[in-house]
Amino acid sequence: MFFNVTRARRYLHQSHEVFPSLSGIVLSVGHLRTFKSMTDFQEDGSPGFSSLVSEGGLHIQKSISVCHDERCSFSSVQSTPDIEKKYVHHVYDAIAPHFSSTRFAKWPKVATFLNSLPLGSLILDAGCGNGKYLGLNPDCFFIGCDISAPLINICAGRGHEAMVADAVNLPYRTGFGDAAISIAVLHHLSTESRRKKAIEELVRVVKKGGLVLITVWAVEQEDKSLVTKWTPLTNKYTEEWIGPGSPRVRSPSSLTLESISETEENSFGDCQEKQMSNKHTHLQKLDGSVAYENWTNNKNQQEYFVPWHLPYHRAEVSGESARALANGLAKKDDKKGAVVYNRYYHVFIEGELERLASGVSNAIILDQFYDKSNWCIILKKT
Amino acid sequence: MRLLTHNMLSCNIKGVTNGFPLRLEVEKFVEKEVDFSAEFLRNIFPKIEWKALVDAARSMGYAELPDEADSSMLDSDDFLKKFHHALLELHLEEGALICPETGRRFPVNKGIPNMLLHEDEV
Repeated sequence: MFFNVTRARRYLHQSHEVFPSLSGIVLSVGHLRTFKSMTDFQEDGSPGFSSLVSEGGLHIQKSISVCHDERCSFSSVQSTPDIEKKYVHHVYDAIAPHFSSTRFAKWPKVATFLNSLPLGSLILDAGCGNGKYLGLNPDCFFIGCDISAPLINICAGRGHEAMVADAVNLPYRTGFGDAAISIAVLHHLSTESRRKKAIEELVRVVKKGGLVLITVWAVEQEDKSLVTKWTPLTNKYTEEWIGPGSPRVRSPSSLTLESISETEENSFGDCQEKQMSNKHTHLQKLDGSVAYENWTNNKNQQEYFVPWHLPYHRAEVSGESARALANGLAKKDDKKGAVVYNRYYHVFIEGELERLASGVSNAIILDQFYDKSNWCIILKKT
Repeated sequence: MRLLTHNMLSCNIKGVTNGFPLRLEVEKFVEKEVDFSAEFLRNIFPKIEWKALVDAARSMGYAELPDEADSSMLDSDDFLKKFHHALLELHLEEGALICPETGRRFPVNKGIPNMLLHEDEV
């Protein structure tokens, strides 16, 4: 073993999140239109939208964005959108130890990639989570980062070099690493420009000739019944948000969803649930301002909330869950004895990862493949 | 945080052009033994900004590194051992990393740097 593992130590949580009170969601879709290209969230702050033309119909997705009263908080692609703060960062902070306990299986393809790297390589893991892959190749040196301080605490407790940082804006000198990995991370970024920026960062921080492995959840799940347990996020509202306090609760359209188990979820016994009993969870209210209507299951659906069940005995350990329940960001499921959190995902459709990576000028695609419901790509910096 | 990591870190606040190296503010450091690998050191050496490593090691009380280094020194066992010690065995446990341009403090607690930026720095 190359590096000694040190004793566990706890990390003083650096509180860096204050949830701004939401004043509303601004929607600026005039009417349903067909678009040929994906447009993205505009960096000048005005919300844009991304759309996909699907065969036989129109499908519009909205990059969910939140603006404050006068001024949009999104002046930069590196600014964290609220949906990520609430439904990615906050959730992982709250579920970190439980989440970590379920993250132990090492994907063969990732292990193969890491073990193929030359002896003495410096490997950067952006979005390392609980550090599952740090140190996997004992002949290499790993440096991990994650946006979740509680998860990094777990990494450090295992003796790894790790820090709290943002994958969209890595605090690393250019070209320092020999290789970089991003395993199940980019699907938590809510705009295409942020996803692309994260790829650019991975390429930037490795040396010329360095390799980058990226994996993301696929739209095309091997277990299709899994997807039906996720809450699709779409909207077909065409009018502007007119201000706070106007609930837009809509009854969910009828769905033909079968009961499903949850991908990557802690296995929670029998996951059979009738769709209609999930009705109330489909109405995602962000501070009571907007509800997302359930859309008929569309194969081009890419935006989802994926639930995480945090058992009560786990939830009690941190005060986060009490806060989350009070804020409406989590719900109690007495039947399952768990606090239910929702994680935001933009799952990738076939070809999407390749398309994004192709747009990075100083990288070439060495390999791309589908593995266990994930789209994967290996890039080389030129 | 080891000095190998420190040698990679750079302040990424918007507009900053000179964010490296971050100055160390050392409140507590420890020394932890790490297995020695000459091959690893030889691979890493070209990446290292030597002066930044020397200064950082000095801030933790280790002044054995030569002020300048070139790859020919990698043949010297004595040099490799000192390089190894500074790069991998000195850990900043409590303190901060200071941006040379803006003075912004990135705290280090329990050996973990927090490099997250505030909304207005992005």
